[in-house]
Amino acid sequence: MKLSTRYEQTSCRLVLEGLPDLSAGHSADTLGIITGFTLALAGRTELEGKRDHLQALLNAVMPYARHLLSGQPRAFGAASDAVAVEPTAGGHQLELRSSQPDTPPLRLQLDDAELADLVRCLDQLRLDARVAVPFELPPPQPLRRRELRRRQPLAQRLSAPLAGVGALLISALLVSLLPPTPRAPLPGKTPAAAPAPLR
Amino acid sequence: MDDASPPHASPRATLPSRPLSRRGIERLDLMLLCAEALDLNGGEAMVWLSEEMGCTDVLPNRVELWKRRCSNPLRRTTRRGQLQSAEADALIRILNALADHLYPMLRSLLSSAEPAEITAQRWQLFSSRLDELLRERFNLRRGAVQRLLDPQEGPALSRDLIQAMALSAGPGGFERLRASLLDAAS
Repeated sequence: MKLSTRYEQTSCRLVLEGLPDLSAGHSADTLGIITGFTLALAGRTELEGKRDHLQALLNAVMPYARHLLSGQPRAFGAASDAVAVEPTAGGHQLELRSSQPDTPPLRLQLDDAELADLVRCLDQLRLDARVAVPFELPPPQPLRRRELRRRQPLAQRLSAPLAGVGALLISALLVSLLPPTPRAPLPGKTPAAAPAPLR
Repeated sequence: MDDASPPHASPRATLPSRPLSRRGIERLDLMLLCAEALDLNGGEAMVWLSEEMGCTDVLPNRVELWKRRCSNPLRRTTRRGQLQSAEADALIRILNALADHLYPMLRSLLSSAEPAEITAQRWQLFSSRLDELLRERFNLRRGAVQRLLDPQEGPALSRDLIQAMALSAGPGGFERLRASLLDAAS
């Protein structure tokens, strides 16, 4: 029995088609095998693909959104992947590479609103209880320090330690310029204050 | 609604349960402030959502909700003590639901498909409300607050907050936002 699920969000419509995986013990209304999907982004060609393409779309878009949320936009999707996404001056570029030889990749420019719509559709898909397809997607994780390098400019990051080292050097120089003060003899060491020997 | 499993929440067993960093608390409270700037009843909506989502054990009333938000060091009146993980989760859950509710407005601010004049008017209205709230509640001597109010830097920072809210809305938004607020301190 063929099943179809649809996820819509203003400029994005994702339709998933498949079959229940009865051998895995799923119910008849649970989509367990994906036979194909269509993705319609407003004003653009409707895209079609198989399970692998959907996985590649998730692999590129979800971590991209995760990094964008932390203010760290960066490209996702290697040259060998079916889907890649990268930040551009006016928004985001989604690149879809065909498995057919001599077919140029399809590049779609998305603005921030369209990207948010796409992310919401993909969220609905991967968290849908009616879909029992195990997508290999790690849960979002906090970014590590080295992934956040661009948050503060280098000059701003180095300003505090450099100012500290500078202040230390200046104070050391000023202290070295002070004339040495003669030390008063300690009272206990003066001969007059020495106790007379007992007889 | 089940108290233990709020809408759109997914298992987050792999996410660390450490408290938010200073930057995380600042960003969370600023996004809640943006929600108030977008919706005049945003403050009331937070209290209502807290009750609706069963967060009353952590945030029993509006005063406690306010006190947790005052953990933000950028506030004019700040509260000492660290925001507990459960308290932060409740605030993130409220923001996730608010962002979901406000998503059409967030989207209209971010969209380039609408006439530039209308988009500019929307941003103007939002920015004026946000400025008003910042001047009323935040410490204006703080650099981060001054940057938000700066006519040059402010618009880009506001847009960043609105974009973050849009990506925090809906299913999956809670865990994505929580992970981002737990980023290592830069």
